[in-house]
Amino acid sequence: MDIILGIRVQNTVILATSKAVTRGISVLKADDDKTRQLSEHVLMAYSGEAGDAVQFSEYIQANIQLYSIRENYELSPKAVSSFVRQELAKSIRSRRPYQVNVLIGGYDAHQKKPELYQIDYLGTKVELPYAAHGYSGFYTFSLLDHHYRPDMTVEEGLKLLKLCIEELQRRMPVDFKGVLVKVVDENGVREVEDF
Amino acid sequence: MSGYDRALSIFSPDGHIFQVEYALEAVKRGTCAVGIKGKDCVVIGCERRSTLKLQDPRITPSKIAKIDSHVVLSFAGLNADSRILIEKARVEAQSHKLTLEDPVSVDYLTRYVAGVQQKYTQSGGVRPFGVSTLIAGFDPRDTTPKLYQTEPSGVYSAWSAQAIGRNSKTVREFLEKNYARDAPPATEQECVKLTVKALLEVVQTGAKNIEITVVRPASQIANLSSDDIGKYVDEIEQEKQQELEKKKQKRGEN
Amino acid sequence: MGSRRFDSRTTIFSPEGRLYQVEYALESISHAGTAIGVMAKDGIVLAAERKVTSKLLEQGSSSEKLYKLNDNITVAVAGLTADAEILINTARLFAQNYLKSYNEEIPVEILVRRLSDVKQGYTQHGGLRPFGASFIYAGYDDRYGYQLYTSNPSGNYSGWKAISVGANTSAAQTLLQMDYKDDITVEEATELALKTLSKTTDSSTLTPERVEFSTITKLDNGKIAQKIFKPQEIETLLNKTGVTKKENDDE
Repeated sequence: MDIILGIRVQNTVILATSKAVTRGISVLKADDDKTRQLSEHVLMAYSGEAGDAVQFSEYIQANIQLYSIRENYELSPKAVSSFVRQELAKSIRSRRPYQVNVLIGGYDAHQKKPELYQIDYLGTKVELPYAAHGYSGFYTFSLLDHHYRPDMTVEEGLKLLKLCIEELQRRMPVDFKGVLVKVVDENGVREVEDF
Repeated sequence: MSGYDRALSIFSPDGHIFQVEYALEAVKRGTCAVGIKGKDCVVIGCERRSTLKLQDPRITPSKIAKIDSHVVLSFAGLNADSRILIEKARVEAQSHKLTLEDPVSVDYLTRYVAGVQQKYTQSGGVRPFGVSTLIAGFDPRDTTPKLYQTEPSGVYSAWSAQAIGRNSKTVREFLEKNYARDAPPATEQECVKLTVKALLEVVQTGAKNIEITVVRPASQIANLSSDDIGKYVDEIEQEKQQELEKKKQKRGEN
Repeated sequence: MGSRRFDSRTTIFSPEGRLYQVEYALESISHAGTAIGVMAKDGIVLAAERKVTSKLLEQGSSSEKLYKLNDNITVAVAGLTADAEILINTARLFAQNYLKSYNEEIPVEILVRRLSDVKQGYTQHGGLRPFGASFIYAGYDDRYGYQLYTSNPSGNYSGWKAISVGANTSAAQTLLQMDYKDDITVEEATELALKTLSKTTDSSTLTPERVEFSTITKLDNGKIAQKIFKPQEIETLLNKTGVTKKENDDE
């Protein structure tokens, strides 16, 4: 029931993740951060089997950071997403696959463009203007289809995201404790306070 | 040739492990590296082999390598060997962070690097690393500068200021004369200056053959540009000049 | 102790801290056919001389000194071709594995370093002699653009604007240093490489049978084009640059 949403607007990618950690019928935590920063300009949001998700994300984070330290050079978001896809594709063919879905938001500092990738646990990778995993897509895609424009500003993008979150709060049968919102642009990754 | 230096890393009857001792000779043939602890920074300086005219200036391999965002490693000895050691250290740093959440402490990293070097003195069919390293940095959430040295034998040690490689003896003597452990260089500038001065004892060609990296707390690592180093070199040269003149004047008075 | 004899063959330090096996490997390369690489502002050229041992030898159409490593990188070899081919095979695997992981071509320096790490390994463990081959890599990537590297049996590598490996390198390097300019074109680089090769060759003139030549340039669509010249094309090239003139002068 985790919510992870991503919207690519002009020069920026917005990622939103639900703050609740639930187990069975209980909410264990209400200020969770389901993202990991992989490099200066790449952020990954994840959802899935509780232990798997963190384990996988931090494993990816360690590998991407190792690359940055080793080469003194940042991998492009496209390269990062390919690497993540490869890891998930390897995992699905292993004895016990990771049950993790991710969104990768990045800003390609060389080509000067924002990119959003959706990758699921089967290793399916797509580059998209807006994306979600789990149930949240069912409630929000109609809104996104209707209002989204590729040349939106960050403010407009956040406004659209707000519409989506309101819809989720109205229609979802569970309380997901609001969302944590982060943006990725040419200056790197930052959290949007007071969303 | 007694034979005890032919096979890899075994004891000779009089208790020497020749391969390790010879590896130290390889270190002594490598360009010099200096590390100095300041009050709240560590500075690493290296002698850089002069770039030939047709060498690509964009790709001059640095002798100071970042291991993680808060630790650097410099070396003297065989370049190719050092790459392997650096790679192992980098992987260990990330792996440590992945399993323990905390970044490596400088002490831990030093022990790891020394451990790898030790293993190559006692494993079948390998020769030791022809490399000594200086490892400098700050522990996470700490402001105490750290500086360590490792050797081909796997021995490691902590230092206030240390030099390795070619002519390191000259530099170490200079440091012993000019570094006070109870009053380390108070500012970053002073620390860099002392490092440059120490290197100038053995580097004749000045700024273009020196590289300097400054490590500050909270993962701040800065490489100085050739121009910046040049300024320090000029300053030191001027001071030397002035001192010489003073001496001359004194002599005149006498 | 079945491995004793084996072990003792691993490269070891001499009392002065030197690795003689590595130095001997370097020595063996200094007798091999020369290879030259010159970087221009709009591309890179590689030229190499192969030693023809007998007139009766059937010259294969494939080159023995120049190899493509991937879509962006060509390499020139000096030394034992058999050793080199092992490394080239490894390099091609590295390149394709990187492409598979990241969906991007491998940056030139990463490939050079990976291969140099393999070479280093043979100087430290495994009980085998070092590789007897030096390389000149000519490649392109988005980070640095055109790049030219060399690596040798010790596992060291370095980046250059113009470089030679193999026989008579010091003479070739002096010639290159004299005539290299920072903003030369591929055409000028071609001339420089071939002239240098002709001046440092042990035999009197260069012939198409003894020369291998290749270029890396960028096409209008941004793709990198690698061209390994065929004997006929080399003949045209040699005539054009006039390095075959010596022959005519003699007559």
